[in-house]
Amino acid sequence: MGADTIRKLTEEDGVVFLIYASFLTQMLISSIADVIEKEAEARGLESTGLNGVYTVLIELAQNMMNYAKSKDQAARTDGLIWVGRDPQNDHYYVQSRNLVDLQDRQKIEPKLNEILSMDSETLKARYRELRRNGLYAHEHGGGIGFYEIAKRAQSISCQFVAIGNDKFYFDFKATIAVKK
Amino acid sequence: MEDLFIAATQYTPHIAMRATGVVDISGKSYPENTFDFYKPVMLWLKNYLTSSQSNKQLKINFEIVYFNSSSSKMFFDFFDLLDEYNDRFNIVIEWRYDEENDIANESGEDFVADFPKLNIALKAF
Repeated sequence: MGADTIRKLTEEDGVVFLIYASFLTQMLISSIADVIEKEAEARGLESTGLNGVYTVLIELAQNMMNYAKSKDQAARTDGLIWVGRDPQNDHYYVQSRNLVDLQDRQKIEPKLNEILSMDSETLKARYRELRRNGLYAHEHGGGIGFYEIAKRAQSISCQFVAIGNDKFYFDFKATIAVKK
Repeated sequence: MEDLFIAATQYTPHIAMRATGVVDISGKSYPENTFDFYKPVMLWLKNYLTSSQSNKQLKINFEIVYFNSSSSKMFFDFFDLLDEYNDRFNIVIEWRYDEENDIANESGEDFVADFPKLNIALKAF
Protein backbone atom coordinates (compact mmCIF):
# COMPACT_ATOMS: atom_id res chain seq x y z
CA MET A 1 0.00 0.00 0.00
CA GLY A 2 1.38 3.42 -0.91
CA ALA A 3 1.60 6.44 1.36
CA ASP A 4 -1.20 8.21 -0.51
CA THR A 5 -3.56 5.31 0.05
CA ILE A 6 -2.80 5.25 3.77
CA ARG A 7 -3.20 9.01 3.97
CA LYS A 8 -6.57 8.90 2.21
CA LEU A 9 -7.83 6.16 4.51
CA THR A 10 -6.74 7.91 7.67
CA GLU A 11 -8.06 11.32 6.57
CA GLU A 12 -11.50 9.87 5.88
CA ASP A 13 -11.67 8.58 9.45
CA GLY A 14 -10.07 11.60 11.13
CA VAL A 15 -7.19 9.47 12.36
CA VAL A 16 -4.78 11.34 14.63
CA PHE A 17 -2.33 8.47 14.61
CA LEU A 18 -2.25 4.84 13.67
CA ILE A 19 0.23 2.25 14.85
CA TYR A 20 0.76 -1.31 13.85
CA ALA A 21 3.15 -2.67 16.40
CA SER A 22 4.72 -6.10 16.24
CA PHE A 23 6.25 -5.17 19.57
CA LEU A 24 4.41 -2.63 21.67
CA THR A 25 6.91 -1.19 24.15
CA GLN A 26 6.58 1.10 27.14
CA MET A 27 8.59 3.80 25.35
CA LEU A 28 6.30 3.58 22.33
CA ILE A 29 3.24 3.92 24.58
CA SER A 30 4.78 6.91 26.28
CA SER A 31 5.48 8.50 22.90
CA ILE A 32 1.94 8.01 21.63
CA ALA A 33 0.65 9.49 24.90
CA ASP A 34 2.75 12.57 24.05
CA VAL A 35 0.96 12.77 20.69
CA ILE A 36 -2.35 13.11 22.55
CA GLU A 37 -0.93 15.99 24.59
CA LYS A 38 0.21 17.68 21.36
CA GLU A 39 -3.24 17.10 19.82
CA ALA A 40 -4.90 18.87 22.77
CA GLU A 41 -2.44 21.75 22.39
CA ALA A 42 -3.00 21.97 18.61
CA ARG A 43 -6.76 22.13 19.10
CA GLY A 44 -6.45 24.87 21.70
CA LEU A 45 -7.92 22.70 24.44
CA GLU A 46 -6.98 22.82 28.12
CA SER A 47 -4.13 20.46 28.92
CA THR A 48 -6.72 18.18 30.54
CA GLY A 49 -9.19 18.39 27.60
CA LEU A 50 -8.19 15.01 26.22
CA ASN A 51 -7.60 13.31 29.58
CA GLY A 52 -10.24 10.72 28.79
CA VAL A 53 -8.55 9.83 25.50
CA TYR A 54 -5.18 9.72 27.26
CA THR A 55 -6.52 7.37 29.93
CA VAL A 56 -8.24 5.01 27.50
CA LEU A 57 -5.24 4.89 25.19
CA ILE A 58 -2.71 4.07 27.90
CA GLU A 59 -4.91 1.45 29.56
CA LEU A 60 -5.62 -0.24 26.26
CA ALA A 61 -2.03 -0.15 25.00
CA GLN A 62 -0.61 -1.39 28.32
CA ASN A 63 -3.21 -4.16 28.38
CA MET A 64 -1.99 -5.26 24.97
CA MET A 65 1.68 -5.01 25.92
CA ASN A 66 1.27 -6.91 29.19
CA TYR A 67 -0.92 -9.53 27.57
CA ALA A 68 1.74 -10.19 24.92
CA LYS A 69 4.44 -10.43 27.60
CA SER A 70 2.45 -13.02 29.49
CA LYS A 71 2.17 -15.17 26.39
CA ASP A 72 5.70 -15.59 25.16
CA GLN A 73 9.15 -14.26 25.74
CA ALA A 74 9.37 -12.52 22.41
CA ALA A 75 6.26 -10.56 23.47
CA ARG A 76 4.93 -9.95 19.98
CA THR A 77 1.83 -7.85 20.29
CA ASP A 78 0.75 -8.00 16.65
CA GLY A 79 -1.49 -5.19 17.68
CA LEU A 80 -3.16 -2.44 15.80
CA ILE A 81 -4.15 0.69 17.67
CA TRP A 82 -5.44 3.99 16.40
CA VAL A 83 -6.97 7.20 17.66
CA GLY A 84 -9.28 9.35 15.59
CA ARG A 85 -11.51 12.37 15.84
CA ASP A 86 -15.07 12.64 14.63
CA PRO A 87 -15.42 16.39 13.92
CA GLN A 88 -19.18 16.21 13.41
CA ASN A 89 -19.92 14.70 16.79
CA ASP A 90 -16.86 16.26 18.38
CA HIS A 91 -15.67 13.13 20.02
CA TYR A 92 -12.56 11.02 19.81
CA TYR A 93 -12.33 7.30 19.48
CA VAL A 94 -9.64 4.78 20.38
CA GLN A 95 -9.69 1.48 18.54
CA SER A 96 -7.54 -1.60 18.79
CA ARG A 97 -7.15 -5.11 17.47
CA ASN A 98 -5.00 -7.87 18.90
CA LEU A 99 -4.82 -11.63 18.81
CA VAL A 100 -6.16 -13.65 21.74
CA ASP A 101 -6.71 -17.36 22.32
CA LEU A 102 -9.91 -19.09 23.41
CA GLN A 103 -8.90 -19.33 27.07
CA ASP A 104 -8.34 -15.58 27.27
CA ARG A 105 -11.50 -14.79 25.36
CA GLN A 106 -13.33 -16.75 28.06
CA LYS A 107 -11.69 -14.56 30.73
CA ILE A 108 -12.18 -11.19 29.02
CA GLU A 109 -15.70 -11.64 27.66
CA PRO A 110 -17.61 -11.99 30.96
CA LYS A 111 -15.90 -8.84 32.30
CA LEU A 112 -16.84 -6.87 29.20
CA ASN A 113 -20.39 -8.18 29.31
CA GLU A 114 -20.63 -7.11 32.94
CA ILE A 115 -19.27 -3.64 32.08
CA LEU A 116 -21.68 -3.25 29.16
CA SER A 117 -24.62 -4.06 31.42
CA MET A 118 -23.74 -1.35 33.98
CA ASP A 119 -24.72 2.30 34.21
CA SER A 120 -22.01 4.80 35.17
CA GLU A 121 -22.72 4.86 38.92
CA THR A 122 -22.73 1.05 39.16
CA LEU A 123 -19.53 0.97 37.15
CA LYS A 124 -17.77 3.42 39.50
CA ALA A 125 -18.89 1.41 42.53
CA ARG A 126 -17.73 -1.85 40.95
CA TYR A 127 -14.33 -0.33 40.10
CA ARG A 128 -13.81 0.70 43.71
CA GLU A 129 -14.94 -2.70 44.94
CA LEU A 130 -12.47 -4.48 42.63
CA ARG A 131 -9.68 -2.16 43.69
CA ARG A 132 -10.46 -2.75 47.34
CA ASN A 133 -10.59 -6.54 47.19
CA GLY A 134 -7.59 -6.83 44.86
CA LEU A 135 -9.41 -9.02 42.39
CA TYR A 136 -7.73 -8.94 38.95
CA ALA A 137 -4.81 -7.07 40.57
CA HIS A 138 -2.11 -9.33 39.20
CA GLU A 139 -3.51 -10.18 35.80
CA HIS A 140 -1.38 -9.50 32.77
CA GLY A 141 -3.61 -7.14 30.89
CA GLY A 142 -7.35 -6.80 31.07
CA GLY A 143 -7.49 -6.42 34.88
CA ILE A 144 -9.44 -3.48 36.25
CA GLY A 145 -8.20 -1.54 33.22
CA PHE A 146 -11.37 -2.24 31.21
CA TYR A 147 -13.46 -0.83 34.06
CA GLU A 148 -11.31 2.31 34.07
CA ILE A 149 -11.70 2.61 30.28
CA ALA A 150 -15.48 2.26 30.53
CA LYS A 151 -15.63 4.94 33.23
CA ARG A 152 -13.94 7.43 30.90
CA ALA A 153 -15.73 6.52 27.66
CA GLN A 154 -19.13 7.58 26.36
CA SER A 155 -19.52 4.12 24.91
CA ILE A 156 -17.51 0.98 24.31
CA SER A 157 -18.00 -1.89 21.88
CA CYS A 158 -16.06 -5.03 21.13
CA GLN A 159 -16.12 -8.26 19.18
CA PHE A 160 -14.14 -11.45 18.85
CA VAL A 161 -13.50 -12.51 15.26
CA ALA A 162 -12.66 -16.20 14.90
CA ILE A 163 -9.66 -16.89 12.67
CA GLY A 164 -9.36 -20.64 13.31
CA ASN A 165 -7.39 -22.84 15.71
CA ASP A 166 -9.15 -21.31 18.71
CA LYS A 167 -7.62 -17.93 17.91
CA PHE A 168 -9.54 -14.66 17.69
CA TYR A 169 -9.01 -11.05 16.77
CA PHE A 170 -10.18 -9.00 19.70
CA ASP A 171 -11.56 -5.74 18.30
CA PHE A 172 -12.25 -2.94 20.76
CA LYS A 173 -13.56 0.59 20.37
CA ALA A 174 -14.15 3.35 22.90
CA THR A 175 -15.60 6.77 22.09
CA ILE A 176 -14.68 9.67 24.36
CA ALA A 177 -16.13 13.16 24.63
CA VAL A 178 -13.88 16.21 24.40
CA LYS A 179 -13.82 18.20 27.63
CA LYS A 180 -13.99 21.93 26.94
CA MET B 1 16.22 5.27 58.43
CA GLU B 2 17.44 6.57 55.06
CA ASP B 3 15.72 8.89 52.61
CA LEU B 4 14.43 7.44 49.36
CA PHE B 5 14.57 9.50 46.19
CA ILE B 6 13.41 8.35 42.75
CA ALA B 7 13.72 10.73 39.81
CA ALA B 8 10.71 11.23 37.53
CA THR B 9 10.59 9.78 34.03
CA GLN B 10 8.07 10.28 31.21
CA TYR B 11 5.85 7.65 32.83
CA THR B 12 6.86 7.42 36.48
CA PRO B 13 6.55 10.03 39.22
CA HIS B 14 9.14 11.93 41.23
CA ILE B 15 9.28 10.35 44.67
CA ALA B 16 10.93 11.75 47.78
CA MET B 17 10.49 9.91 51.09
CA ARG B 18 12.38 11.60 53.88
CA ALA B 19 13.25 10.21 57.28
CA THR B 20 11.87 13.46 58.74
CA GLY B 21 8.43 12.15 57.76
CA VAL B 22 7.77 14.28 54.67
CA VAL B 23 6.85 12.43 51.48
CA ASP B 24 6.28 13.85 47.99
CA ILE B 25 4.87 11.88 45.06
CA SER B 26 4.28 13.91 41.90
CA GLY B 27 4.01 13.52 38.14
CA LYS B 28 2.66 10.76 35.92
CA SER B 29 2.34 7.15 36.96
CA TYR B 30 1.95 4.39 34.41
CA PRO B 31 5.05 2.23 34.92
CA GLU B 32 5.75 -0.78 32.77
CA ASN B 33 5.63 -2.93 35.90
CA THR B 34 3.77 -1.08 38.62
CA PHE B 35 4.39 -3.65 41.35
CA ASP B 36 8.18 -3.61 40.81
CA PHE B 37 8.30 0.17 40.55
CA TYR B 38 6.47 0.75 43.84
CA LYS B 39 8.15 -2.08 45.75
CA PRO B 40 10.84 0.19 47.34
CA VAL B 41 8.17 2.81 48.09
CA MET B 42 5.97 0.34 49.96
CA LEU B 43 9.02 -1.08 51.73
CA TRP B 44 10.17 2.38 52.85
CA LEU B 45 6.70 3.18 54.16
CA LYS B 46 6.44 -0.11 56.05
CA ASN B 47 9.89 0.44 57.58
CA TYR B 48 9.02 3.99 58.60
CA LEU B 49 5.76 2.94 60.22
CA THR B 50 7.41 0.11 62.15
CA SER B 51 10.66 1.92 63.04
CA SER B 52 11.18 2.84 66.68
CA GLN B 53 13.19 5.89 65.53
CA SER B 54 10.48 7.61 63.51
CA ASN B 55 8.95 10.77 64.95
CA LYS B 56 5.39 9.41 64.57
CA GLN B 57 4.56 12.14 62.06
CA LEU B 58 3.92 11.77 58.36
CA LYS B 59 3.05 14.49 55.87
CA ILE B 60 2.35 13.08 52.42
CA ASN B 61 1.92 15.29 49.36
CA PHE B 62 0.42 13.71 46.27
CA GLU B 63 0.34 15.69 43.04
CA ILE B 64 -0.36 13.14 40.38
CA VAL B 65 -1.24 14.43 36.92
CA TYR B 66 -2.22 11.05 35.56
CA PHE B 67 -2.14 7.47 36.85
CA ASN B 68 -3.22 4.19 35.31
CA SER B 69 -5.46 1.61 36.93
CA SER B 70 -2.63 -0.51 38.33
CA SER B 71 -1.05 2.58 39.94
CA SER B 72 -4.48 3.35 41.36
CA LYS B 73 -4.49 -0.09 42.97
CA MET B 74 -0.99 0.56 44.33
CA PHE B 75 -2.05 3.91 45.84
CA PHE B 76 -4.99 2.11 47.42
CA ASP B 77 -2.55 -0.34 49.06
CA PHE B 78 -0.40 2.64 50.15
CA PHE B 79 -3.41 4.28 51.84
CA ASP B 80 -4.44 0.94 53.29
CA LEU B 81 -1.07 0.64 55.04
CA LEU B 82 -1.36 4.19 56.38
CA ASP B 83 -4.86 3.38 57.60
CA GLU B 84 -3.49 0.45 59.59
CA TYR B 85 -1.10 2.74 61.51
CA ASN B 86 -3.33 5.81 61.66
CA ASP B 87 -4.02 5.44 65.39
CA ARG B 88 -0.33 5.47 66.28
CA PHE B 89 0.86 8.24 63.94
CA ASN B 90 -0.09 11.77 63.10
CA ILE B 91 -0.70 11.31 59.37
CA VAL B 92 -1.68 14.19 57.09
CA ILE B 93 -2.22 13.60 53.37
CA GLU B 94 -2.62 16.35 50.81
CA TRP B 95 -4.04 15.31 47.45
CA ARG B 96 -3.27 18.20 45.09
CA TYR B 97 -4.80 18.41 41.63
CA ASP B 98 -5.29 20.83 38.76
CA GLU B 99 -8.85 22.18 39.06
CA GLU B 100 -9.39 21.31 35.37
CA ASN B 101 -8.40 17.70 35.98
CA ASP B 102 -11.67 16.07 36.95
CA ILE B 103 -10.19 12.57 36.83
CA ALA B 104 -7.60 13.46 39.51
CA ASN B 105 -10.33 15.19 41.51
CA GLU B 106 -12.64 12.17 41.32
CA SER B 107 -9.79 9.84 42.30
CA GLY B 108 -9.06 11.95 45.36
CA GLU B 109 -12.73 11.90 46.35
CA ASP B 110 -12.80 8.11 45.97
CA PHE B 111 -9.81 7.74 48.31
CA VAL B 112 -11.45 10.02 50.86
CA ALA B 113 -14.58 7.86 50.71
CA ASP B 114 -12.60 4.60 50.89
CA PHE B 115 -10.53 5.72 53.89
CA PRO B 116 -12.80 7.81 56.11
CA LYS B 117 -10.42 7.64 59.09
CA LEU B 118 -7.45 9.06 57.19
CA ASN B 119 -6.87 12.79 57.16
CA ILE B 120 -6.90 13.41 53.38
CA ALA B 121 -7.26 17.01 52.20
CA LEU B 122 -8.15 17.63 48.55
CA LYS B 123 -6.55 20.80 47.24
CA ALA B 124 -7.27 22.21 43.79
CA PHE B 125 -4.75 24.59 42.24
